[in-house]
Amino acid sequence: MTEEENSSQDTGQQEEEAPKFLRGSALSIFHSDRHEDFMALLFAMAVALGVYVTIK
Amino acid sequence: MVYTKKHPALLIMGVIFVAMAFMADTGAMEGLIGFLKNKKYVGEMVGMGYAFGGIAVIIGLWHMFGDHKEGTADYYLSTVAGAIFILLVAMLVRWHLAPFIAVISKGLGPVMGAKYLHQVLGLNYVVLGILAGIIIVNVFKIPEWAENGVRLSRLGLKTGVILLGTLYSLGELASLGKLSALMVGFFVLGAVGMVLWIGRRRNIPNSMAAVLSAGMGVCGVSATVAAAPVVNAKAVEIAYTIGTILLWGVGCMFLFPVVGHMLDLGYIQFGAWAGTGILNSAQVAGAALAYQPDGIETLKVAEIFNITRVLFLPIIVLWLALWYVKHEQDENAVKVNVGKVIFEKFPVFVLGFILMFALSSTGVFAPAQHYKGKYFDNDVKASKMLKDEEVATLSAEGGKLQRADRKEAVARTAENKKVMSIADETLLRGIYNAKILSKDANKVIKKATKAVRKTAGKIKKFRQWITLLFAFGLTGLGMQITFAAMKQAGGQPLVIGGIVGTTKAVAALIVILMFVRETI
Repeated sequence: MTEEENSSQDTGQQEEEAPKFLRGSALSIFHSDRHEDFMALLFAMAVALGVYVTIK
Repeated sequence: MVYTKKHPALLIMGVIFVAMAFMADTGAMEGLIGFLKNKKYVGEMVGMGYAFGGIAVIIGLWHMFGDHKEGTADYYLSTVAGAIFILLVAMLVRWHLAPFIAVISKGLGPVMGAKYLHQVLGLNYVVLGILAGIIIVNVFKIPEWAENGVRLSRLGLKTGVILLGTLYSLGELASLGKLSALMVGFFVLGAVGMVLWIGRRRNIPNSMAAVLSAGMGVCGVSATVAAAPVVNAKAVEIAYTIGTILLWGVGCMFLFPVVGHMLDLGYIQFGAWAGTGILNSAQVAGAALAYQPDGIETLKVAEIFNITRVLFLPIIVLWLALWYVKHEQDENAVKVNVGKVIFEKFPVFVLGFILMFALSSTGVFAPAQHYKGKYFDNDVKASKMLKDEEVATLSAEGGKLQRADRKEAVARTAENKKVMSIADETLLRGIYNAKILSKDANKVIKKATKAVRKTAGKIKKFRQWITLLFAFGLTGLGMQITFAAMKQAGGQPLVIGGIVGTTKAVAALIVILMFVRETI
């Protein structure tokens, strides 16, 4: 699946260098994979609703 | 920390998008479009160019001249620059670079059967987009103003996977589901067991073997992350596993389509193979789209296999927990709650895919029995009925079929010069996928089945969204593959991962070649 590389890569990298971003992680603007999953779900629902309403 | 940079880049990119849209709209690019033979993208150039260009210009002006203070608005609006940067690269590749390479490749003539070099090597907008991303991050580095937004690429991929659910219907998933569950179950459990066994023989730490087995067996990085706390894996072990998986996946992403074309695999065969053999969903999508850049059938099959694989995650995590406890016997190991880890780490967007699939199966987006976004309607125009010579081709080859139901379906189609029922259409589709008949007869079958399939407007729109989201996500993914991360895959994990990954890929290919064409 699209993967939680951020959490794990962060775990490895943060021991050696300071994080570049104070929010989110190295590979995501969201603070957790679960948060990103829900945002993807929200975005997908919005697209689906838009398509449902506008396309015959 | 203020994330927004006072930089003209976003404004300039917006102007470029709008200019491209204007030129495509007014015909100013006709010469270029004629040379590149990319007329099919003109609609995208105009629609997306104006839409994204407009957004980029407005927010770009705010980036340049606005007063930026630390906060949520600054944080999220600063991502627009990176997102537009990825989109611009992805769309320049899709609209211009990929067609240019296709023109050059066609100029060289066919190199493998009727296929051209760019088709054999899979050099389409998907692969070229990822390559462009890799080159940008490793040669030029990601510009500072784009860094925050580049982190949106995975959101695009996840959204694309969720929307992919709209393209499935219950009947289609049920027929593929049995096959995918059987195959994936066999190969996931086999790969996990093999890594654990080799890991013990090579004396790597149990925690290292366990995370690597989860990564190589189930679902790439998410499985690694889910299994890591269960087996008390160290950060360096997680990093090594991820490096191995990504490096393996990058190799597969380029190699699988080449092998697939050499063996002339059908879309279902290739989708099943990619979904079983490649570990990372983005790379599965990359390989599937590289194999079939102008359609989505391969991607759909690959994603079904891919998502079936994720469903094994709780089982594998449980297995690894038990295995680790048994082998480690470390009294100091921190106790973890396996159920809690599964609950916390299971990717929710997979549930989103299932939700969209459920909605699609109810007939909200297309008639409930739709197949690949199309539905059956045999009120066919005279021009789309089979011609006499096509009927003759079909009738002559019908005798080759062994199954009586298939023979009857072919005979009915030939007699009426069109497909008469959904059942017949399903049988004909099976014959086509199995490649039992000659290419000429298959062409006739394809024409007949195509004529009775009407495209649902909503599904067509979903396809466009999915293509956009995957182009965006995969180009952004390329921008996150650094040579340093790839080097992390060195040593034992790479050797073990390579052995297990290759064994799984080859065994899956053999199984698919032997059984899949007969099963579907």
